[in-house]
Formats: sequence, C-alpha cells, structure tokens
Amino acid sequence: MRLNPQGFSRKIVFLVFSVLIGAAVTYAITYRIFDGSVDLMKDTPDYQSVLLINTLIGASVTLFVIELRWDALRVTLTVIVALLIGYLMTAAFNLDAANRFIQGEFRVTLESDGTAPDVEGMDVEYGAARAGDFNNPDHKEPLKKAAYRFAGTEGDAVTILAFPTRQNIEVDLQLALVDESGKTLAKSDSVSAEQLEAHRDLNSQKDAAIEAFVLPADGVYTIQVQPEELTLNQKIGETLSKTKVAYNAFLLGPLDRVLRWSFWIQDAITLIILGLSIALVFRAEQFSLGAEGQLYFGVLVSGIVALKFGDAPKELVVPVALLSAATAGFLWGLLPGALKAYLGANELVSTLMLNTIATRFYEMVLTFELKPDDAGYVASSWFPNKGTLTPIVEGTQITLAIYLLIAVVLLTWLIMFRTPIGYEIRMIGANIKFADYGGVNTKRTIMLAMAISGAVAGLAGAHLAMGIHRRLILNISMGLAFEGVVVALLARNNPLVAPFTGLLYSYLRTGARFMESDANVSFEVVRIIQSIIILLITAEALVTFFRRRRIRRRGTVELDGAPPDIPAQAHPPVEGTAHV
Amino acid sequence: MFENVIEGIFSAAFLAAILRVTTPILLPSLGALISDRTGVINIGLEGIMLVSAFTGVVFSAYARDWFGADTGTTIGPWLGLVMGVLLGVLMALLLAFFHLRLKADLILSGIALNFLGSAVTVAIMYELTGDRGNTQGSLDSMKMPFIQLPDFLADIPIVSFFFKIFDNQSVMTWIAFIAVGLVWYVMYRTPTGRHMLAVGENPEAAASVGIRVQRVRYLALAISGVLAGLGGVHMSMGYLAFYQRDMTAGRGFIALATPYLGGGNPIGTALASLIFGFFDAISTRIGSLEIPSQLPQMVPYLATVMALVIYALQSQLGSRVRTLRAAEGEQFDVHYWSAIRRLSVLHMFMAMTAVLGIIVAVSMFSAPQGFTKVIDDVTASGIMIAILSLVLIGINLPFILHVERIGQWQWWASAGAAIASLWVYVGLFMMLFLVAANGQQVGSSTLDLSDATIALIGMGAGLVAGILIWLQLGGQYLLRNGGHAAVTA
Repeated sequence: MRLNPQGFSRKIVFLVFSVLIGAAVTYAITYRIFDGSVDLMKDTPDYQSVLLINTLIGASVTLFVIELRWDALRVTLTVIVALLIGYLMTAAFNLDAANRFIQGEFRVTLESDGTAPDVEGMDVEYGAARAGDFNNPDHKEPLKKAAYRFAGTEGDAVTILAFPTRQNIEVDLQLALVDESGKTLAKSDSVSAEQLEAHRDLNSQKDAAIEAFVLPADGVYTIQVQPEELTLNQKIGETLSKTKVAYNAFLLGPLDRVLRWSFWIQDAITLIILGLSIALVFRAEQFSLGAEGQLYFGVLVSGIVALKFGDAPKELVVPVALLSAATAGFLWGLLPGALKAYLGANELVSTLMLNTIATRFYEMVLTFELKPDDAGYVASSWFPNKGTLTPIVEGTQITLAIYLLIAVVLLTWLIMFRTPIGYEIRMIGANIKFADYGGVNTKRTIMLAMAISGAVAGLAGAHLAMGIHRRLILNISMGLAFEGVVVALLARNNPLVAPFTGLLYSYLRTGARFMESDANVSFEVVRIIQSIIILLITAEALVTFFRRRRIRRRGTVELDGAPPDIPAQAHPPVEGTAHV
Repeated sequence: MFENVIEGIFSAAFLAAILRVTTPILLPSLGALISDRTGVINIGLEGIMLVSAFTGVVFSAYARDWFGADTGTTIGPWLGLVMGVLLGVLMALLLAFFHLRLKADLILSGIALNFLGSAVTVAIMYELTGDRGNTQGSLDSMKMPFIQLPDFLADIPIVSFFFKIFDNQSVMTWIAFIAVGLVWYVMYRTPTGRHMLAVGENPEAAASVGIRVQRVRYLALAISGVLAGLGGVHMSMGYLAFYQRDMTAGRGFIALATPYLGGGNPIGTALASLIFGFFDAISTRIGSLEIPSQLPQMVPYLATVMALVIYALQSQLGSRVRTLRAAEGEQFDVHYWSAIRRLSVLHMFMAMTAVLGIIVAVSMFSAPQGFTKVIDDVTASGIMIAILSLVLIGINLPFILHVERIGQWQWWASAGAAIASLWVYVGLFMMLFLVAANGQQVGSSTLDLSDATIALIGMGAGLVAGILIWLQLGGQYLLRNGGHAAVTA
C-alpha cells in the first residue's frame, strides 16, 4: 500500500469503507443461506463455524479492496464483463427454449353419437384416436402438421380433441375441421375451463377441442392438427426467462442453503491453495503449470499415509500426511525447476508433460496397489476415520482444512514478502537480468520458486484426499489445478488477495454446477467465462485500445510493443554456464 | 504372446501406424515451428485443434441435412475440413489480436485459448447432443478420404513393403507430409518466410529495415492456426468419425516441444514428430502385453521432457562452441568440435533412454501387482533394471556434465561408455528381434536358432553396431588425433 502523507484521514475512510464492504458481504451471505431467520440458524448444527467462515469471507473481501484498490475495480469489472458474455452465451444456448411449444407427442380423438358410414381408406373413424409426434429432432423428416380423414353423415355431432400424450409435454396444438372442398368448417386453438372440466383427456388450455360440431352433409372430412406458430415475442420471452432461471441458479444457487454453501466453501479451499501455488511461480515470471501433477503426488502420498497409518493417533497422522504431501509436491516441482534453471528447458512444456506422467503414475498405483481386490471400480478403500480431517460443520466436507488454509495464506505471504527468497522471487519476476546483475542466484531462485509452489500444490492435494473425498479415486482433480491460474491472475499474484479471488471463482464454479442441474445449461459455460477473464485481465492495452480508436493514428512505424523478453524466449539465453 | 508384440513392432503395418499417429503431431508441430521462429510462440495449439476437430465433425455431420444425401456425402468431409481450418485460423487470430494489439501476455492468452477451446466444444456438444463425453452415435462425422495407391506396386518385390506402409493412408497424412515441404519452401525460399525468420531473430532490426513486424506476426500465427486446424480435423475425421472431449490429449503441447528437438527446421521437426509417433504407436502395441497400460502411456510425455533437456543442453553447448570459435579464430578445429557435439548427443541419448529404465523400475516397485502376470520376481527384476539403468546413466553422466571430457585425455573413457551403452541397447534390441524372428519363414527354410545362438548373435551385433556408430559419429576423428583437437601451425 502506498501511503499518502497528507491523506491519513482519507486512508482511514478507505479502511472503514473496505471493512464495511466486507461486513456487508458477510451479512448478505449469512442472511441468504439462513433465509433471514435466526431460528433456522440456531437450528443448524455448528452454526458458529458457519458464521466464522462467513466472517472470513468478509475479511477476504476487505483484504481484496485494501490490497488492490483501484485494481479491485478493474478485476470486478472484468468479472462482470465475462459474466455478461456468459449470459449472452447461455441465452444463445436457450434460443430453442420456445421449441417445447411446437414439439412433442400428441393424440387426436374423434367422438360422435352417430354411426359412421362404412367407407374404405379413411384414417380415423368415430370412437377412434390417432397419435403422432411433432417436430421430433431425432426424426429424419420431422412431422410438422398432420391431417386425418374420416367419413361422416349429415347431422352427426362430432367432438374432436387434440392434446399431448403426457402431462409434461407442452406442445401448443391447434385443430381445424375441413370439408371436401377445402373449406374450413371449425377451428380451435385453445380450450375453455369448462371444456377442461368436461373432458378428462384435456390437461391444459393449450390443447384444442372442437365440441359437438354438427356435420352439414355426408362426405369425407379432414381433421388438421398442427402446433401453433411461435411468435417472435414468445421466442424471445421464453429464451430470456429460461436464461434468467439458469443465471439465477448460477449466481445465487450456492447460497440457497447450508449444504450448497458448503460445496462452495470446500471447493474454494482447494482453489485458494492452488491459486497461492500458481501465484508463487507466476510472481517469478515462470509459467509453470505443474500444479496438477504436484497435486496428484500430494493426493497419492497423503492418501497412502492415511491408509497405512490409520491406526496411529490422529494428531500424528494428519501432520505427517500433510508434511509428506508437501514434500512430494516440493520434489515434483523441484524437477522441472531444476530443468528450467540449470538447463533452460521450457517450464511450460515440461510441467505439462510431467503432469500427465504424474497422473498416469497415480492411476497405476491406485489401480494395482491401493484398490481393494473386491472393489468393482477403481478407488481405494475409505480412509480410516482418524486419517481424515475433522469436519467443523456437521454433515459437510468443510473441515479443519480451513485453518490449514489460513496458515498457508499467511505462510505464502510471509515467504513472498518477508523472506530473502521471496524478495529474490519478486526481483527475478520484475527483471531477471537486473536480479542477476544484482547478485541474486537466479537459478537457485527459479528452482526454489517452482519447488515451493509445488509444496503448496501438494497441500491442496492432501486437502482433496483427506478433506473432501476421504479416499482415492480416479480423476480426483479433473483439471482443478488449471483453475488456479485464473485465481492467481485475478489476485494479481498477491497471496492476500487470492482468498477472495478463489472464493469468487469457486462461487462461479459451484453456481455453474447448480445451473447445470437446475436449468440444464452446460457447466462448461463457467470455463468459457474463465478463459474470457484470463484474456481480459492480461490484456494490458485494453483500456488504451478503446481510447485510442478515437484518436487518429499517427504515421510512425509501428514497432512491436510486446515486452522484449516474451517473443520466442521459451529458453531464456543462459550464457556462460559452467555446465557445458 | 511376447513374440506377437515384437512381431507387431517390426512390420509394415506398424510403420503405417507410425505415420498415422504422427500426422496429428506433425501438423501442429509445423504450426508451432512457424510461430516459434517468428517469435510469437503459439501456446494455444491444443485449444485450436479441439475447436477445429469439433467444427469439422459438426459441419460434415450436418452436410447431409443441408445438401441432401448425395451431394452431402461428397462435399461433407471437405466442408468439415474447410470450416475446421477456418475456425482454427479465427482462434489463432483471436490470440494474435489479444497479444499484438491488446498487449496481453502471449503465454497466458495461449493458456486461455486452450481453456476456451476445450470448454466451448464441450458446451456446444452438450447443447447439440445432450452428451458431454463424445458425439459418437448422435453426431457422426464423415471421414476424410483414404488414398489408395495403384495395385501393381504391391507386386514389385521391395516396393511392396513400402506399398503396405503408404497404401490406404488418410489424405490428411499426405497433406501433413506435403506440408513439411511447403513450410520449408515458405520459410526459406519466399520473402515472407525470410521476413518471419528476421522478425523472430530480432524484431527491432527487422522493423528498422522496413519489415512490418506486426503484420508478419499476425501472418505467422494465422498459418499456425491453419496447420493446427488441419491436425485437429485429422483427429476427429481422419480415423475416428466423432468428436470426443479433450481428444487431442496433449498433442498440442507435444507439438511445442518437437521444433526444439528438430533443431528449428521443418525437416528436423518432421523427424522429431516421427519419433513421437513411434512412441505413441509403440505404447498402444505394448498395451497388449499384460503390464499396467499407464506405463507405456507415460512414454511419449517422458520422451518430450527428455527431448527438451537434450535440446537445452545442445543449445548451451552450441553457444559455447560459437564463443570458442570466435576466440580461437584460425586455431579453431571445426571437425573436432562437431565430433564432440555429435558424441555428446549420443551420451545424452544413452543416459535419457536409461531414465526410461528408471521409470520402469520405479513403477515396478510402486505397483508390483501390475507386473506379476509377465514377470515372476518383480522386485528382483526391478532392482536389476534399476541397477542397469543407473550404471548406464552413471557412465554417461560425466561426459554430459563436462563435454570436454569426450575429447582430450579422457577420450577413451568416453568411447568406452558410449560403446558399452550402445552395446547394451542394440544387443537387447537385436535379441528381441531374433526372438521374434525365430520360427519364421525366411526364404525357403525356417529360422531355428537356439537361445545361446540368439544371445551370441545379439550381443555380437550390439558390440559391432556400438563401435560402428561411435566411429561414425566422430570416434574416427578422436582415434586419429588421440582425442585432441588438431593443432594448426
């Protein structure tokens, strides 16, 4: 934070302002998950822990505002823009929402008290019914309208009903009775309340009925059935209302009740730790994406400890498991770190390759060693109770890991801002050549930055195994570590901001999950939003771009303005090394 | 069973399979090469491939609905190809716009592009088919045509072997190998290509002589989009006829490594891609052995890491040798140093291959139950493999750490290490080959060798091959000069 000497009071105002924002967020979240009822809150087991976590969420918001200041505004705006784009996309996916009114199986019945003349080749007769399926997308040539011919005698009173075959089909039908010359005798596109009462087959006003129509002459008549044309208004309205349902589930779903809220928090714990891990390497300008592999080693090692030493006291097992997970992650991060620092091997490619190797290794050990012989699918047995982290909110997976998280946040901050290694990491991130001339052992620092980040990612793996899943399963991470990238980027690689951005992003992830289950919109929308966020947040010239469009371009040679160390420098030239 | 695997490895069918699986690595590799040499490395290849693969499936699947069954079937694959490539270019231009115009970080926006490609395809797939895994059954694409060679080639004795390799390959495979030539021509024989290389070498200098840096970079990224798009289309329409979630499985990232291994030129990149194709094909072959399938699956990725290491070491050595050359001037012995460089690659390759052995040993220790069907005493075999690998690494390491030791007074130690390693590898390889060939029809008689003969021939051939390879790579020169650089008066 930059201090303004005269602005002491302004600083206080700002501080109060950010604390107020945090408090407001805490209040809003608590209000919503307990539905604003204190009784409901008091009935919830471990509600004190819920309140504590909500306070922590508020604190993270406060930290976010204090640390980033005006940048916080930009981050918020970026997320809002990305959400708007996501909204448009969800709307685009729901463009066919109104189609349910023109699709579906229907049935047409023909009733009459008269006796039908015996004419060959008719489609339907008195007392009979026909059924069809309008606009089925799976059919090669979808049925758009249907016509059934029947023979009638003068004076017969016919009742024709058209309705969907099942309650949940919403097709909006219209009926017409046409005589031989093509003249329309009767039409119907909706039914009255009395008709609904009178005929048990009808089930909504959208059905159609021609009731007690007296045929004017002997002859062949045609019943025409078709779905009612959709109006533009209907199409737009349906799209918007379905999108609204989807976005409601997306943006408010995680706060519906304590259980849904807990999915958010448990996901956030993993994501924040991963974000811290990524922030550490990104601070050193190392584009290592190895968190996924390091996480898998953390999962594997902590899982083995929890499984093998399940009988030892919990106070012993949990720290040992955490430590060994961190060590495994450290070593798996040290490897690409050393390759990058001492050999100049591109860390992006090498970490991605090592991720796959780690994942396959994990799968191999899980499939052949840890899976019980009688298990039908690939998963280890449940960890003995002592090997897992104790939940602090009953019935959820929110565990003591919350304290681990706080410790990791503080530790990462300490390492980054209060230790020599952190200073060196920030220095090489700012300018590696300058750091080198300034006497920083850049190679060692690069290697350690990647290794420490690996240790943190290993801890995230331990939380995943011991806190959330409580056993080892295949695909335990599902690319979680990559989500850490957006957490770190939104946090501007600041460990104190990462809790907020992690919460924010996992909120979107959890919301997207509810959007998928509640509104049938693909979860992947949130990953699209994620990539838009990354693009927008890294686009440094975004603001000037829009500003400059209005200014006439000057006639100078446009030189590449990208930072000179980025092009083609997959291998920064390491000159004069002693290893040749 | 073991013999079947070996036979499978040395057949025309296997070589054909290598070409097949090389295609989706080679195409994006060329894209990575062009963007890399222009100084704007395209990290988003993976995402571009996914989008192109998916677009190809969608357009070819709907072509029949749009144009009727007859016309649709004819133009469907090509429509899919064109649209897939078009979308690939658009994705690449998006990256170019964000990096070149909005000054977004190239690497991070490339990462974003990958997320975008993976997510957009799955989201749209879910909308169209209701499935999040693949489009099989619900949205079947058409395959690109296969190229049949004229049949009479199959009757010519030696040509027939090659006929079996190249016959019935997808048109995309041919496109990929033609693209190698095209890329080479564009890079080295056209002004645009020269501009690209100049911009990649030094953008400021290029700008100062009037090259439009931004435009050249846009172009390079667009071309890489075309090539990655072709690779993506091959994934979903070459041999499969559907799109599967994340079906590229890291090929876009492997493609980033191949230009390094290939020395930064199209021909080398093609060879490097073939190496990956070989590992990829072999991992599916080994799958029929009853060992954990994850082990062979690791191999291509491990090979990529090793390729990176070898490339990094070589470029360090290269810059050192250039400095030395500048310092020594007339005295610099070019032949000596090129011999040293070639031999150092040999040492590195030998040590890296032994790392594979370490991985096998570690796997055997960590998941012994996976190996019990093939090997009786897993622990003992694991220890043996580990010791052998460690020895091989140990004897080669001194010459990797200090390349000078390959020449000078220790040259005979280096020669011993190189020949011994080659002996082990080539010998084992030969023995496996002979085990496979044993009992096969050779001309009119049946090959029938006893185990001792196989061992003798194998090890003998290994030793001879080891010595010959060492001599060929530069040993001759060291032998003649007693390991020292020639001193010119």
